[in-house]
Amino acid sequence: MISLTNNTEITLTDGYSEYEIDTSQEEMNLSFIANGKAEVFIKIKNGNKIVLHTTANEDAEVTYLLWDECKTKISFEENHSVKRNAIVNIAYGEINQNEMDRNLRINLEEENAKASLSSATLTSVKKHYDINVTSKASHTFGEMKNFSVVLDGGDYYMNAVGAIEHGAIGSESHQTSRALCFDPEMNAKIIPVLLIDENDVKASHATSVGRVDEDQLYYLQSRGLTPKQCTALISTGYLLPVTEVIHDEELKNVLKKELEEKINKLCSM
Amino acid sequence: MKELVINNLHVSVEGKEILKGVDLTIHEGETHALMGPNGNGKSTLLAAIMGHPRYTVTDGTITLDGQNVLEMSVDERSRAGIFLGMQYPQEISGVTNSDFLRAAMNARRESPVSLFTFIKEMEKTIQALQMKEDLAHRFLNEGFSGGEKKRNEIVQMMMLKPSISMLDEIDSGLDVDAIKIVADAINTLQKETNMALMIVSHYERFLELIGPEYTHVLVNGKIVLDGDASLANKIDTEGYDWIYRDYNITPASVEPKKRPTVSLGTCAVSQQMRKGEKK
Repeated sequence: MISLTNNTEITLTDGYSEYEIDTSQEEMNLSFIANGKAEVFIKIKNGNKIVLHTTANEDAEVTYLLWDECKTKISFEENHSVKRNAIVNIAYGEINQNEMDRNLRINLEEENAKASLSSATLTSVKKHYDINVTSKASHTFGEMKNFSVVLDGGDYYMNAVGAIEHGAIGSESHQTSRALCFDPEMNAKIIPVLLIDENDVKASHATSVGRVDEDQLYYLQSRGLTPKQCTALISTGYLLPVTEVIHDEELKNVLKKELEEKINKLCSM
Repeated sequence: MKELVINNLHVSVEGKEILKGVDLTIHEGETHALMGPNGNGKSTLLAAIMGHPRYTVTDGTITLDGQNVLEMSVDERSRAGIFLGMQYPQEISGVTNSDFLRAAMNARRESPVSLFTFIKEMEKTIQALQMKEDLAHRFLNEGFSGGEKKRNEIVQMMMLKPSISMLDEIDSGLDVDAIKIVADAINTLQKETNMALMIVSHYERFLELIGPEYTHVLVNGKIVLDGDASLANKIDTEGYDWIYRDYNITPASVEPKKRPTVSLGTCAVSQQMRKGEKK
């Protein structure tokens, strides 16, 4: 695992790489330039403000897994540019108990650019997301999948904007955001937005915020699972789709395992 | 388990009394058929024994080998050996059958079941119930047909090996072949583990295959008649009218059976609630 330092610029070619962010600096600037098919696992151990830029050049495909392990408050400022025929996949794991603010923009700048992002959040503190995926050229594709489990004391905010600009014909913008709550003492807000300025496009959104169904809990309990085990099982099932964005089997398994461990730990508290 | 004893059980749902003093004792290895017209409390009795949170026991006792069942949480009752095969099993997205079943099996064991043993057991059970091989990897009941859900209840029962199984209309939604498959599986497990069975069913064919030794007729929240297998046969051919006449009782009003919108609600409950709404 390579530790990242401020103002680093990394060129990504084919293959898998792991990085770690562990800094006490006020702000850390990072940029990635993708030319090949790259999988990148970034573990964030400590930081205050992380500024992350990606340029996915023509035909490149970059898959990120950003795994938050910070114990203190952190904010992210992200900007990802996707060029012709390029793909950016990003998965966020926010299964830790620190305050987090994320401001994210993905620009699908050239024809056939694609971006898929997914986030898995399990929280009893504040986790706020402002995300925007904008189609600026024709035949681009953007999708967002946000899944969250909000525990007692949690404050989840998701403002998800999918935009298709004038002239971006044949483009698609899709989003799904779901929040699941176990306790009454929590706050979850999802704002799905579609800004469409072109006719020949496809767009969709699905949103739900709700408590776990009492009958579902009863059903699981009637097979011998304690309420805490039920919470863990339902949460795992709920958050696991985040791994779908990852195609690399190795990375997918890392995420699944970490997710299950974290959830089990949190739910047994 | 040696015996489950129900004594003077009164159960209410949202203030409406559904069970009005039920007495019933079930011993290890016995098979009991619980009969009665729709909406007279059969499902309520089973749900109350399992501990559904919406059912309030207002009087009476339930004990399992002397232990007070009413003081146990739902999961404790399950771990104590009580199983309820539900009329309307829940669909739970994101949770695979195998993850769920392994967790449920581990919940009642000192040390976790090995993956190898689990997979072998699961494969054997899926085969016995003649379900599709991908069952283990599908989400719990999600997108299952009515019949598949019912068979999956029996898969769970086979894996968890309870000491008393209550099956609430487990045969509805099953075709003739599937009824035979399910009944065979239940009989096999009972032979193997000597579990007790309490069956709610409207189908003579299913009861014939299971062969209950005892029959109880529940009318308007009370058991009005106990008998052996011949009582179930008589009801099958003659209905309930002779019971109302001979014992001078009136059933709770029977309305056409509808699938309740509350998925685990039962007939008696939904009827009481509908009645309540009309008032």
